[in-house]
Amino acid sequence: MRIDDYKQGNLEKVVEAGEKAKASQERLNAVVSFCDIEEQIKDYKHTQSDLLFQTPVALKDNINTKGTRTTASSRILDNYIPVYNATIVDKLKAAGAVFVAKTSMDELGMGGTNLNAYTGKVNNPWDLQRISGGSSGGSAALVAEGVVPLAIGSDTGDSVRKPAAYCGVVGLKPTYGRISRYGIIPYASSLDHVGLFTTTIKDAATALEVLAGRDDNDMTTSYKPVEKYSSLLNSDLQGKRIGVIKNVMDAIEDKTIQETFKQLLDKLESRGAIIEDVVFDTDLMNALLPTYYVISNAEATANHSNLDGIRFGVREDGDDLTSIMINSRTKGFSSEVRKRFVIGSYSLFTENQDKIFRKAQKVRRRIVDALKEKLASYDVLLASAAGSIAPYPDESYGEKLSATYLVAENHMLLGNFSGYPSITVPNAIVDGMPVAVNLLAKPFEETLMLSIAKAIEEECGLEGYCREVSE
Amino acid sequence: MNFEVIIGIEIHCELKTKTKMFSSAPVSFAAKPNTCTNEIDLGMPGTLPCVNQEAVRSSIKVCHALECEIDPLVRFDRKNYYYSDLPKGFQITQQFFPIGKNGEIMINTDDGEKIIRINRIHMEEDTAKQFHHDDGSYLDFNRAGTPLIEIVTEPDMRNGKEAAAYVEKIRNILYYLGVSDVKMEEGSLRCDVNISLRPYGSDTLGAKSEIKNLNSISNVQKAIEYEIDRQNKVLLSGGTIDQATLRYDETARKTVLMRKKEGDVDYKYFPEPNIFPIRLKEDFISSIIEQLDELPDQRKHTYIHSYGLNEYDAQQIVANKELSDFYNKVVTNTKEYKLAANWILGEVSAFLNKENIAIDQSSIIPEELAIMIDMIVKKEISGKQAKEVFEEIVLGKKAKEVVKAKGMEQVSDENAILDFVINVLDANPQSIEDYKNGKDRAVGFLVGQVMKLSKGQANPAITNKLIVEELKKR
Amino acid sequence: MEMYSNEYFKKLANQIMFDLSDEEIVSLKADFEIMLQQMELLNKIDTDGITEMVYPFEDETYFLREDKINHVLSQEDALENAPETKDGQIVVPKVVK
Repeated sequence: MRIDDYKQGNLEKVVEAGEKAKASQERLNAVVSFCDIEEQIKDYKHTQSDLLFQTPVALKDNINTKGTRTTASSRILDNYIPVYNATIVDKLKAAGAVFVAKTSMDELGMGGTNLNAYTGKVNNPWDLQRISGGSSGGSAALVAEGVVPLAIGSDTGDSVRKPAAYCGVVGLKPTYGRISRYGIIPYASSLDHVGLFTTTIKDAATALEVLAGRDDNDMTTSYKPVEKYSSLLNSDLQGKRIGVIKNVMDAIEDKTIQETFKQLLDKLESRGAIIEDVVFDTDLMNALLPTYYVISNAEATANHSNLDGIRFGVREDGDDLTSIMINSRTKGFSSEVRKRFVIGSYSLFTENQDKIFRKAQKVRRRIVDALKEKLASYDVLLASAAGSIAPYPDESYGEKLSATYLVAENHMLLGNFSGYPSITVPNAIVDGMPVAVNLLAKPFEETLMLSIAKAIEEECGLEGYCREVSE
Repeated sequence: MNFEVIIGIEIHCELKTKTKMFSSAPVSFAAKPNTCTNEIDLGMPGTLPCVNQEAVRSSIKVCHALECEIDPLVRFDRKNYYYSDLPKGFQITQQFFPIGKNGEIMINTDDGEKIIRINRIHMEEDTAKQFHHDDGSYLDFNRAGTPLIEIVTEPDMRNGKEAAAYVEKIRNILYYLGVSDVKMEEGSLRCDVNISLRPYGSDTLGAKSEIKNLNSISNVQKAIEYEIDRQNKVLLSGGTIDQATLRYDETARKTVLMRKKEGDVDYKYFPEPNIFPIRLKEDFISSIIEQLDELPDQRKHTYIHSYGLNEYDAQQIVANKELSDFYNKVVTNTKEYKLAANWILGEVSAFLNKENIAIDQSSIIPEELAIMIDMIVKKEISGKQAKEVFEEIVLGKKAKEVVKAKGMEQVSDENAILDFVINVLDANPQSIEDYKNGKDRAVGFLVGQVMKLSKGQANPAITNKLIVEELKKR
Repeated sequence: MEMYSNEYFKKLANQIMFDLSDEEIVSLKADFEIMLQQMELLNKIDTDGITEMVYPFEDETYFLREDKINHVLSQEDALENAPETKDGQIVVPKVVK
């Protein structure tokens, strides 16, 4: 669905979206909590000129919504009712959005499959057996299903752009600091971005206009003026320089993905784009995942030290303070999360920090320096967003240290390390399953990136693609 | 064997800002529990810190006063540990780049002045308050997130007296800067002392004890003296000192073990990713420094070198900022610096003690005290009369009005005084005789008689002059 | 304590306030192995003279929040999520300090 489908309609359609979300639950299991729509439209005072007039929106469950349960798909927050709104919640409301649901995610954002959610696996709308991808899987699935035209996610290591690829929707992660993170339950602060899912580039541009901007509550947000992304969109590719990340394409074993990607390149070239291969140092590309793993787990273990059962969240019994904390955190976090915390904590020990955490931060700089150098000669870098279509749960771990896994499945980390804007755009349907490409642009060049994405969208004919429409 | 005592001090000082270090909730004392917080102070999921400008300003003032190098790039780090009073599970502090370093201050010791080096000054946030009841510990998060600065010395002090002098000095400076209430008993200034003993001549530090949370300056001295004695005895009897954290038991007058330290706790410090480094522009820093009031030492210097006070009096005045402020106001209205100091340390202080109030709670108007002092010097009133006038000045009255109302105004009209003089001379022929015989003190007697007759109102200088003139005529 | 023994990992977990079951420790050890292998990939990168990249962007900032009370929660809101409260405070078992 598109935002315009709702702007032109009436509030009834918002109520319907809520019903559709409930109806989808059995198929997708994408929702953690449903929002009270009646309450939100009771005194609805917006006009057509508001960018998200009458638009139903789904929020990832790590976005604080005052009065509405927010669990980040973790047991420890199962009863947490925020007493404040994330900045973006206020911005969306001010633009006319009506919240439909809080969506499932990998617990605390820690995962790429959405299998590690307290409420269980989120099913891929195009093949329920397959995964949605994560960590913003619930949001991706609801947009792909056609329940909402816009869903908000967060992206720490491709957590918007990967599920977007698996579910066949647009997934945008703008520049770090472009959208306030205030009120987003973090994963790893230096890598976390707010992102969004839509079915069209235009809607992504509109949503970005609503969400972007300086927020004094988030000292890392930028003062750069917010552009009128949606009206600045133009899909002219004449002379645009597109660098294809050769390391990624070489690492992909899936022939169909290779093929669809090449077909896209031909189309873009025929529209006047200049397409060249870009080759990164192999060792740097192989270091993407380890760098991410170290930095994200270290920051995460500190970020989630506030989850102790004392001031909020599920408190388990214990005889003393320590046992209360230990019991609450043991039962409150899944094994996967606890294991990652131990690894994160280990890498921060004084005796290990130089060897592990700081080493990873230094490698991060080398990677970003290399990216900056490559991007200097191009408008965007382009690669397949994933090495395969959405996998089945048991396939999704792959061989951890193979080139396919290290490079093809993790190259979108470049956008998190650098904070540069990046977007996933569906480019083909193979045997009923979507395949997508990913763009990476220079900081704050969202307008340019969206315009090139728009050209891809036009060439692939998947604008507005979702289950509701395709059936 | 003799031991050298090595003492270093860490002072935590709560800053007197309107809002918290990283949130816009109010800093407040004695408010109802949990009414001065927002989601940031409670460590709610998803919150982010936002640095308080006033806390930075206050820190710059302290850095300047303690002659520290100021780091113009403000950076914060996380100190990770778990405790019920620490909402986020980490404290945001400045481990790697403190705002101030390499400072020093001068203290007065029995052996004269001594420099205590300041290792660092950094900003951080306070924890919640815990109240221990029979049925559990109660947590009040009002204090959580209150801005703190920590001032850490080098191990430069050698005995309890020096340590107490240092803390007193820091307290006074912080108070003069107006950055803190510095109330040790209420915890707005908290003091941790590290003590170790080592054989003279040794250059390695012995195992140290840390005495936590000393709540008064006298306890700083007492606790240290007790601890030195204790360590001394242990070492002399061949024992060893365990690295430990102690507290001072005021009633038992001894230090008590809180916990032994088993290696240092690893706080896993790392840079706070949610606060980008903040550049303090040069004019931002310099405007804060330019607007700084004089510090106690500067005032003392002025008192001694410009006003001619002695060291003791000058110190007595600057030891109390309000008294010093009051003195400064008095001496903008009179040039009688020493007399003003005498009055303030004498009558004024005695009055304040008697009433048990501070100078800023009294009704004395500094300008009026200055006027009274000038009247004394001009001999418009006598010292004795001044004491009477002062009794009214403390009620907030004006000096001239009191003098008038009490009929103390001196008569300076020569004709009026001449009448008194003639009357007195007529009544005292013997004195005239004495004068003619060269006995000059007869004049003094006659002046006294005129004063008596005029009820003290005759201007003594004029009276003296007229008596001499009249005597010559007779 | 032996490095990478079960007790070692248990202690690491307890330091950050949770437990790991024996099965979880087995699985953690496997993850640890992977991490150590991944460290080899990191160590292939020469980082001599490179400083840590802590933030995605390193332009200096100037903003400091004005010291003005802007947002305070009511006691009710502050305590709304607390598992146990009394007299306006959050209660935990007695802490001996």
